[in-house]
Amino acid sequence: MVFPAKYPSLNATEMTEEARQTLIRVLRVAFPHQCVPDGPYERTADTILTEAQNETWFRVALTQGLLSLNQLSDGDFRSLDDAAALRVLRRVDGTEFFGFVRRTAVLNLYDDAEVWTALGYEGASFDQGGYINRGFNDLGWLPDPRVEFPEGETMPEIAPGATGAPRPAAGGQKTDSTNQPGATSSDMEEVKK
Amino acid sequence: MSSVPENHTPGESVTGYSVAHDEEAVVIVGSGAGGGTLAYELTSKGIPVVVLEAGPYLTHDEYMNNEWESFNQMAWLDPRTTSGSWRVARDFPNLPAWIVKAVGGTTTHWSGATPRFKDHEFKARSVYGRVDGANLLDWPIGLSDLAPFYDRAEKAMGSTHVHGRPPLPANNNYKVFANGAERVGYKFYATGPYATNAEEYDGRPASIQDGFNFQGDKNRSKWSTLVREIPRAEATGLLDLRPNSQAVQITHDAEGRADAVLYLDEEGSLHRQAAKIVCVAGNSIETPRLLLLSATPSFPDGLGNSSGQLGRNYMRHLTGTVWGHFEEPVRMYRGETMAGMIGDESLHDPDRGFAGGYYLETISLGPAFMAAFVEPGTWGPDFAKLLDAYTNSAGMWIVGEDMPQETNRITLNTTLKDKNGLPVPNVHYDDHVNDVAMREHAYAAGEKVYAAVGARSTHRTPPYPSTHNLGTARMSERPEDGVVDRWGRSHDVKNLFVSDGSVFTSGAAANPTLTIVALAIRQADYIAEELKAQRI
Repeated sequence: MVFPAKYPSLNATEMTEEARQTLIRVLRVAFPHQCVPDGPYERTADTILTEAQNETWFRVALTQGLLSLNQLSDGDFRSLDDAAALRVLRRVDGTEFFGFVRRTAVLNLYDDAEVWTALGYEGASFDQGGYINRGFNDLGWLPDPRVEFPEGETMPEIAPGATGAPRPAAGGQKTDSTNQPGATSSDMEEVKK
Repeated sequence: MSSVPENHTPGESVTGYSVAHDEEAVVIVGSGAGGGTLAYELTSKGIPVVVLEAGPYLTHDEYMNNEWESFNQMAWLDPRTTSGSWRVARDFPNLPAWIVKAVGGTTTHWSGATPRFKDHEFKARSVYGRVDGANLLDWPIGLSDLAPFYDRAEKAMGSTHVHGRPPLPANNNYKVFANGAERVGYKFYATGPYATNAEEYDGRPASIQDGFNFQGDKNRSKWSTLVREIPRAEATGLLDLRPNSQAVQITHDAEGRADAVLYLDEEGSLHRQAAKIVCVAGNSIETPRLLLLSATPSFPDGLGNSSGQLGRNYMRHLTGTVWGHFEEPVRMYRGETMAGMIGDESLHDPDRGFAGGYYLETISLGPAFMAAFVEPGTWGPDFAKLLDAYTNSAGMWIVGEDMPQETNRITLNTTLKDKNGLPVPNVHYDDHVNDVAMREHAYAAGEKVYAAVGARSTHRTPPYPSTHNLGTARMSERPEDGVVDRWGRSHDVKNLFVSDGSVFTSGAAANPTLTIVALAIRQADYIAEELKAQRI
């Protein structure tokens, strides 16, 4: 085990291609979408590396984290199958390293046009006149519902008898006193049948 | 559309009209639902106003149809802190509220839903009874006081379904929502009321269903004070609008009357605007923050805080989201983000195990926001599945009344300061047991709606950062119970008004914007009369 934060010289380090490949694998396992091609995962890994380049602490955490992954994998994290890789990631779930990777990935991976296409999202439409003539109401597997409230009926405001009822159960869960159990507590003693 | 002219002087008006800094003016802090409406109503009566807006003057053309880019452009991202047991404090510790810092305020971001309060929701204490831990209080006004102003607000905003405005058409998300509602036996579902035009109205075009709403409406079909009140106030020639001008203190004279507002421009320079009336409409976090920052030996706990209620009783509505995943495509992102409402559960029925009610309203997010909000902090195959189901997903949002609690409050966090050296606001919130019971009920109701139309799975998303921020300068009949009177006028400082959702005595189930606008129109009438009678 090494502790990079102890060594100021590590401020001058850079990530290797192996680190990048490991990171891409981490993203694939943590956010597994069969429909998403490699490009977005690679771009997200690069975003993480760029942010790590700008922030010493992130770089140190990332260095340490990638090292830990290999240690937990008995060698090379990249050689693990999906299930084994997922188990390793679950073990580092609470680390600074993984939190940083997760936060950055959630913000960037899903803000990628290629991911949008893969998930079936068409994005901005203003320049194309909106969706008004491009399927905003093309759902055909359910009947067309009414769009107005039922005519001649008034939405009920207070349930019948509500004003005369005692105060709601949710508000009254406190025991009134030590010898008077509250409405929702039970008085447990010897059970006689 | 006017915007900031070139070679504009920081901290000065961007309209053709300006008021001298030493001239005692009607000063409005904020240009959103409350401040923007008040500015228009007062200028239309011939009363000049100075509006101090903390954010920039963005125009509709500048809005971006991209979730994160737009978020960075519009959202109020100044540092804030959180505490308490609410889930937002864990998921978004530095973003308790999702509101806008720009001219037009959060009306540029809002969904557009305009239900009215129900009569009994103004009498929460009398109708709900004593609820342990809740600081319930009846409003000093009732539905009959506000009804004529609801009419005026709905006409100004162009609410669908009322005053002859046609309903929005059913979009894909609504078709799933409404069919599910019908099948579980709900009756009161419809595509509104929403203040987004189904057909051209009031100079604004019909919706083109472009799918972007929280990002500002480029098409100008949705009502905001940016599209209506601000330009009309400007057209009166009596609006002095100062963007990038953040109020930091309200000062007072020896008699305890507010006499000026100090504000910072974008370069950090301090300005002073003399005032004869100050109306604070900075939303329910910044409004109490400003009044707390204005504490003096005469007002040691904050300006207008003799009751001790300033900053307390912070409410944020219940909120929560239910997603349904179906066999067939939904494509909820096509069309208006919100255009569907179920009102059957908005009644007060304590037999459900809680006081108050809630609405269910359609909602849609793009993949970027879906990933960030659907289940914050998670990852892995289960998380990925929620995104894989994106095309086949339908969504609904829960809006329900939360209990006011004295301990839910905005305070000044004196251990942390912003770039101007001012203490940042801390937002403390604990869910009340009534809130938890109602949210559980609402999640289950939403799941039933989607199950009824064949959802193969559903997912419960926890609350987003608060968009409905309410109650921190509550209205009360008696000065010892609240911060302002029935007109939003401070009990303590007679020329100080609060003009936003901070004045809500209780939260009701309805989305708050219509009520904020109605109260602002009513307050403008009152201020105009008081000025005329020289009672201010």
